[in-house]
Amino acid sequence: MSVLKRIDELSGNPKVRRSWFTLACAFFLIIIVIPSIFVVTKILTEWDLVNNILSDASTMDIIMGAVWNSFSIAFIVTVIDILVGLPMAWIMVRREFRGKNVLDTLMDLPLAFPTAVLGLSVVVFWAVPPEGITVPGLGLGITPYMLVVLLHIIFTYPYMVRSLSAILEQIEPNYETAAMTLGASRWTAVRTITLPLFRAGLATGFILCFARSLSETGGTNIALLLMGAITDDGGTFFTGPTFIAWMKTAFGGATSPEAMGAMILISVIMIVFALILLVVVRKVMMGFRIPIKKVWPDIGRKVSRGLLPKAKDVLAMAFLLFVVLIPSFYIFAFLTQPTGDIDFGGLLSATGTSFLVAGVAVAVDIVFGMPVAIYIARNKGNRLADVLDELVNVPLIIPTTALGFSLALFWGSFGFSDSVALMLVVLGHISFTYPLVVRNLVGAIEEVDPSYEEIAITLGAKPFQAFRKILFPIIKSSVLAGGILAFTRSLGETGATVAISDSVNTIPIYITNLVKAGMAGEYTMFAEAAMCSIVLIAICFVLMMVIRAMSQGGDRDA
Amino acid sequence: MGKIKLDRISMRFGDFYAVRDISLEINNGEYVTILGPSGCGKTTLIKVISGIWTPTEGKVYVDGVDVTDVPMEDRDVGYVFQNIALFPHLNLRDNVSYSPRVKDLGDQVMEERSTEYLELVNMLARAGMFPSELSGGEQQKVAIARALASGSKMLMLDEPLSALDARVRMELRYELRRIVKRLGITVLHVTHDQEEAMSVSDRIVLMRYGAIAETGSPLEIYRHPKSVFAANFIGETNLLECTVSDKSKMGKTKVRLRGGPEIRVSRTNFNIGDPVVISVRPEHVYPATDGLRAEVTDVVFMGTYWRVRTIAETRDHVEYNVSTSDEIPEVGDMVHLVFNKKATVVFARPEGGIEEEIRLE
Ligand SMILES: Nc1ncnc2c1ncn2[C@@H]1O[C@H](COP(=O)(O)OP(=O)(O)O)[C@@H](O)[C@H]1O
Ligand SMILES: [Mg+2]
Repeated sequence: MSVLKRIDELSGNPKVRRSWFTLACAFFLIIIVIPSIFVVTKILTEWDLVNNILSDASTMDIIMGAVWNSFSIAFIVTVIDILVGLPMAWIMVRREFRGKNVLDTLMDLPLAFPTAVLGLSVVVFWAVPPEGITVPGLGLGITPYMLVVLLHIIFTYPYMVRSLSAILEQIEPNYETAAMTLGASRWTAVRTITLPLFRAGLATGFILCFARSLSETGGTNIALLLMGAITDDGGTFFTGPTFIAWMKTAFGGATSPEAMGAMILISVIMIVFALILLVVVRKVMMGFRIPIKKVWPDIGRKVSRGLLPKAKDVLAMAFLLFVVLIPSFYIFAFLTQPTGDIDFGGLLSATGTSFLVAGVAVAVDIVFGMPVAIYIARNKGNRLADVLDELVNVPLIIPTTALGFSLALFWGSFGFSDSVALMLVVLGHISFTYPLVVRNLVGAIEEVDPSYEEIAITLGAKPFQAFRKILFPIIKSSVLAGGILAFTRSLGETGATVAISDSVNTIPIYITNLVKAGMAGEYTMFAEAAMCSIVLIAICFVLMMVIRAMSQGGDRDA
Repeated sequence: MGKIKLDRISMRFGDFYAVRDISLEINNGEYVTILGPSGCGKTTLIKVISGIWTPTEGKVYVDGVDVTDVPMEDRDVGYVFQNIALFPHLNLRDNVSYSPRVKDLGDQVMEERSTEYLELVNMLARAGMFPSELSGGEQQKVAIARALASGSKMLMLDEPLSALDARVRMELRYELRRIVKRLGITVLHVTHDQEEAMSVSDRIVLMRYGAIAETGSPLEIYRHPKSVFAANFIGETNLLECTVSDKSKMGKTKVRLRGGPEIRVSRTNFNIGDPVVISVRPEHVYPATDGLRAEVTDVVFMGTYWRVRTIAETRDHVEYNVSTSDEIPEVGDMVHLVFNKKATVVFARPEGGIEEEIRLE
């Protein structure tokens, strides 16, 4: 208590406030932003290594192929998400029906599944699983490329539906009705009125899904391992992040100059393209006009009535069920199989590591993110606030594997390396979870009328007191929701962890190693990987439920 | 060309009837206001007429044709929303030419119609602006132009003036009537403002609890309301509980107020001893040297007259007007009041009591 009092007193001093804010900004820049993109400078300092790779045609082929795979998969996945997400958003926002709440919960479930788990589940459901997995699936002979698309749709789809729904909810439903009383068919009304008002939501959804797909490592890696596309000695199919991860672990590690050159090159390519994309997508989406000049009343009428609209809704639901939900839950089919002994000791220690990393990362995010979030939310239009607001997105869009690699190089150049691996992993997880927490905080703080705190301060409260007694209690549920979101995201992360260190054993890495052992012939390891996955799902599911309860509690207060 | 007939329309949401068993005929070119307290089903009624909702029971006819199951985009009924709902991403011209556009009538018609109707509401000079750049009253005018530009002969207005300032509201009210009368359009104008209803409509449809309470021209309803609710909701009135005390063969009636005093009222069909309520508007109450004794509780300046509030010896609240040129009583003064007997309307006393009868919810 006396500590809080002391802080209250100190916060009355503008100099102290200013230095705390400066510290938080410095933390954001030096611990998060700069290490995330530090690798770009290596292009100059390690030019020889990079140049060697550039002139090595076969390695370049692999690198460019991996980059192409990553970006084209992310693009296809995002477009599919938009196409099937739009009708779903309509169903979720504009319809009232029994079971809507259940559907709402189901929609978010794939977010509770760590992607590594999804990788296993999806291969077993769709493809021909490797020898040793006895759970029957569809057994389709699909290519690794298609499989990765199917996998990525699962965990990006909820983001898309959520972003689209959020915007649709803001759009006055009367616009559509007004258009229809003026003679427009529903199809024409949606095309000429609602969709053009949608751009911001599309841009957000696009960026979120694209970045998530671009970044994903763990699930993709497991899927490709199981498909036999990646083995210890080589691979026939890589995405950018899986290539970096493979280089790091299989190819003799970052110590070999060849690997180093290739990793620098591909990381820089991924980072630069991703950042360019962030800017371009914004610009394109904002400038893009859906053509509304020409209408075709008869066609509009035909597609607005009768079976077509129903068919569209049925298809949207079927997609959710057969492409998103069932393949995710398929992992539970392993419960029908006899399980060998589970190494609870190993699982427990990996779980402990994961929780430690995620817990510390989220706590740091909240403490150091709060001043920045308050500043952004309370100074809209101010130059610095806008710059910070943009910068916060940077770690979100950079593929986490490249981010992790970059961060390891950054701290490595100060002599920090495997001896403090765990700490470096925590820093890595701070980087990619920080935007999630800060975005949530900014959103929540914007909703709170600043006059509450101003009144408290005019009544004699010190600024920190006003924060602690007025603002914090109001935004508490958002802080927790953002925190848990970041926590589950950290729990499921593979790419950043692998890229930083190969000695830190978090749960997704533990599962990946079980799968690798399975591929090496220890078939019982597959079942064990599945059981560990189920345990992990259970943990994440409980956390998700807590978020829901909290965000609903928040609504009730408002 | 715009004759509407409703045949026993009901609209049910779950177990709740928002509108119950409404039959109504509206003539071509008639300006009808639908008046009633909020939640009584006014919006529901015009949504059913315009096809936005399909009634759960009953039929809608336009010019004798059953249109109940015709979808709204083919109904050709202009509808102006309570919250205006101009398309925010289109400028005024594109808003107004939206209907010709979606009916694919060609660029020339779009141009002509948008010019004609923007001109009609005096907004042509701003055709290139966006809705967010206009004031509320201007937006409402454009919304009306947009609805009219569909070429529809029927226009539904859902509380079109309620969001506007008092001043703009008054001006727009008359402008609205002028415009639609010039075009010969049938209008259903929903409002909860009785003054607005009185001043614009050919006929008022008074609604309550999802049903029609009463219809009639503003003058009819004002002078000869058929219910205590109508007398109270339209215009201001004094309501006093009393009992019929005397009646001649010709129908000349006297009533006894609570606590004794007896007064003459207009001719009625009641019998001696019937419990009744009389309604007398403040402008028909005069101070006199003899009559109902009352104590002044409040005197309010209303601009062109003074409103005097009193509590009568019968414990009824009675209000009357005093012209600004006359002598004004002071709070606490005792006055004597007489009622214009021709303007005193007598109703059977409602079973639930007056309070229950005039409740708005
Ligand atoms: N979509 C709906 N679902 C359920 N009840 C509704 C719906 N729309 C209106 N109601 C109910 O019907 C009644 C009449 O509503 P409305 O026609 O909007 O009233 P008014 O326009 O006279 O204020 C209200 O009690 C309202 O709650
Ligand atoms: Mg209404």
